[in-house]
Amino acid sequence: MKKSIYVIDDDEIYQRIIKKLVARADVFQQASFYMNARKALHDLNFTNSEMPSVILLDINMPVMDGWQFLKELEKSFPNLYTQTKIFIVSSSIAYSDKEKINEFPMLSGFLSKPLSVEKLREIGEYIK
Amino acid sequence: MAHTIENPTSSNAKRRPLLIGFLAFLLLLLAGFFMLWQRYQILLDDRQSEMSAIIDVAEQNIDQSLKYSYSAALSLALQIDEDGDIENFDEVAPQLVDNNPNIDAIQIVPGGVITKVYPLEENKDALNYNILKDSTRNGEAFKAIERKQMFFAGPLELKQGGLAIVGRLPVFKKNEFWGFVAVLIEFDNLIDQSGLEELAGDQYHFQFSKINPLTKKEEFFLKKDHKLDKSYSEELVLPDGGWKIYIIPVDPQKAFYTLIPVAIMILVISGAIGWIIYNTLKQPAKLQQLVKEQAGELAKSELHFRTIFNQAAIGMARVDSKSGMILEANKKFQDLLGYSEEELKQKDYKVISHPDDLSENTQLMQKLSRDEIREYSLEKRLQRSDGRLIWVRINVSPLWEVGEEVSSHIALVEDISARILVKQKLIDNENRFRSLVENSNEIILIVDDLNNVKYYSPSLAKISKYEEIDFAANGVLYYTHPDDHDLLRLKVEKAYQNPGTPITDIILRVKNAENNWFWVNATLTNMLKVDNVNGFVVNLRDITGKKEAEMNLVKSYELVMEQNKRLLNFAYIVSHNLRSHSSNMSSILELYDTEESQEEKDSYVKLLNKVSRNLDQSLHDLNEVVSINTNLDIKAEVINVAEFVDQALDVLSLQIKTKDAKIIKDLPVDMQVNFNAAYMESVLLNFLTNALRYSHPQRTPVIELRGYKEEDNWILEIRDNGIGIDLDKHGEKVFGLYKTFSERKDARGVGLFITKNQINAMGGTVKIESKPEVGTSFKVRFK
Repeated sequence: MKKSIYVIDDDEIYQRIIKKLVARADVFQQASFYMNARKALHDLNFTNSEMPSVILLDINMPVMDGWQFLKELEKSFPNLYTQTKIFIVSSSIAYSDKEKINEFPMLSGFLSKPLSVEKLREIGEYIK
Repeated sequence: MAHTIENPTSSNAKRRPLLIGFLAFLLLLLAGFFMLWQRYQILLDDRQSEMSAIIDVAEQNIDQSLKYSYSAALSLALQIDEDGDIENFDEVAPQLVDNNPNIDAIQIVPGGVITKVYPLEENKDALNYNILKDSTRNGEAFKAIERKQMFFAGPLELKQGGLAIVGRLPVFKKNEFWGFVAVLIEFDNLIDQSGLEELAGDQYHFQFSKINPLTKKEEFFLKKDHKLDKSYSEELVLPDGGWKIYIIPVDPQKAFYTLIPVAIMILVISGAIGWIIYNTLKQPAKLQQLVKEQAGELAKSELHFRTIFNQAAIGMARVDSKSGMILEANKKFQDLLGYSEEELKQKDYKVISHPDDLSENTQLMQKLSRDEIREYSLEKRLQRSDGRLIWVRINVSPLWEVGEEVSSHIALVEDISARILVKQKLIDNENRFRSLVENSNEIILIVDDLNNVKYYSPSLAKISKYEEIDFAANGVLYYTHPDDHDLLRLKVEKAYQNPGTPITDIILRVKNAENNWFWVNATLTNMLKVDNVNGFVVNLRDITGKKEAEMNLVKSYELVMEQNKRLLNFAYIVSHNLRSHSSNMSSILELYDTEESQEEKDSYVKLLNKVSRNLDQSLHDLNEVVSINTNLDIKAEVINVAEFVDQALDVLSLQIKTKDAKIIKDLPVDMQVNFNAAYMESVLLNFLTNALRYSHPQRTPVIELRGYKEEDNWILEIRDNGIGIDLDKHGEKVFGLYKTFSERKDARGVGLFITKNQINAMGGTVKIESKPEVGTSFKVRFK
């Protein structure tokens, strides 16, 4: 099965890094990178491609933050979690954000920055 | 003092009346018997006299008889002639005998031979009997011859029979004895004629005796069997015959016997009188005994009194009522005052009394002296020997009877210092509590179960402005805030159920006289059953100030909590921000290490440089934020807002020109606020920059600046017609740190956060109103 990944994060530098890491990990046949959640949502809704196997999602973003993105996504894809593992990726997490995680029980986990090649491969193994 | 009681030998006292009584008895008895004896003697004398009288009469009668016999014999003798013949014997003799009852027979006895006799018949046996020749009888015949006088012989047993007395008259012829003329008197006849039988009656016996001339023995002729007790007899001696007549009482003891009842009576009377005397004498002895016993009792009670006086646990003093000098004082009294009895005895009670108490004491004493009162008691102070004052209660009773002369009185003295002290303490306490109640800031009410206010403390007017309060008219609830009615009902119910237990901390609002609500902390105590209270005690403490402080505190607490939360969030956000840089760095460095291509490696260095700049920017922002929150002594000064606005517009003039923005100012010249100048600069720049930056691309930006007053506070309103912000979505997040809402790359989410913090630090507030595509308005309220 083809493994695909979406990375949504507004940090420009992080984007550069994660692209490199995904390339090096070499577990995902397809990877999409978004600095704007709204754009990602739009692509998911309106492109005919399959749902990605993994979404790495940042929380603190302008215009649409991670939570707003998740809510919108759940509306569009009620069975989202059966095919897509979504991980929250952040450098640290505020108390209020921790509570928020509990509102989305289907999330597959929380990953702390910095990510590494090994971590990405582990995720790749995890999704099979 | 030793008081001994003389105890008399009671036996003497008892014996004396007995002796006297007995002596009296004896004396009376003696006297009685003496009288009786005299009486007895008189009786005996009387009897003797009677007997003598009887004897006299008998003697006279016998003498008469004998005289008649003599005359008869003489008459016959005269008939005898010289020759010794008697011619007319038969004539004379019957005359003599028959006419003379005393004579029973008459004889002519010449030469001692009985020759003639009359009455012959009865006496013929005597004829020719020669009496001189009969030796048994001749003695008396011879005696008559010798004496030449008539002599009565006998009583003799006559030859012819019978017992008779023979009177023989010797007849001499020519001085020669011729013979006798004899007269016979029958013995019975003689006794008859003597009248003895009649005289003696049944009272006396009599006896007739004669000394026998031959035997010389006394012979008795009456055949009566009576002992002749001569001690009771009276005798009559008849010389003519040598007879003796005895008279003897029939009952010689009769006199004695008749006196026996009298004797008995005397005995009884003496006994009675003796007894009476004994008793009479005993009475004084008894009385004396009684007196002595009572004296003993008196001495005893005196001793008791003495003992009580000396040993009493209460002070006692006897005081001269006129002079006031203490006469006696007991031990307790001495101890009370610390003086010895000798010292006390020289003192006037007035000297040891407190001068302030004297006038009352003196008045009472005068009343006592005038017998207007019979006792009095008084609480007063006495001065001890050491100068200390003690409170005593004295009870004074006079020792004189009403109407008697004033003498002395007894004063009972009780130390009541402790009680007075306690009482004084109580009064002090009462005063203290009263002043506490009256001066306290608490309203204290006593309300009975009918809502009558029985007491209210002066603080009522002070705190509630009510001059008086009447729950009965309006009801308690009238004065209570409607929201607190349920609470009050609940607490009143609780107070009813728990008498005596204060129901505390009833926090409610009550209405004052000016119709303003104020907060009170009420305590309700059910003392309906407690005497002198009989109501609910209500304490109302005005806690409006406290309540306000509390509410402020709550506000502050909320504020602090809010701030704390914010700070916590801030810390996370900051850490997140910093960590994002550090994680980027570490990732870049890792990539750099494993990268072989030099070109790639160079790009990583460039990237690292970028991260470094970002980090620097973050730290700069952070420094600014922290400085606002930590710089507490930042100075505020009076600032003219319009001036600062002009300065800020001046700074931004280039951007305004570029954007072709229109600025509208409506700021009063007198708009002066207390603010830090640098903050004011920063705040204005931030708002104006935002207004310019987020201007609507299709519109000419219009920025309005307006100043006005709202409830004494200056308001600065900055309104733009920019792109606006969806507050429904982002809400209060607009002022959050690192919150960005646009896709602009230069938005860091720091400006508004800092602005809000600066305004808050100066005591102001800021509010946002915004609609997407319409515009945004910030309202700053200055303190």
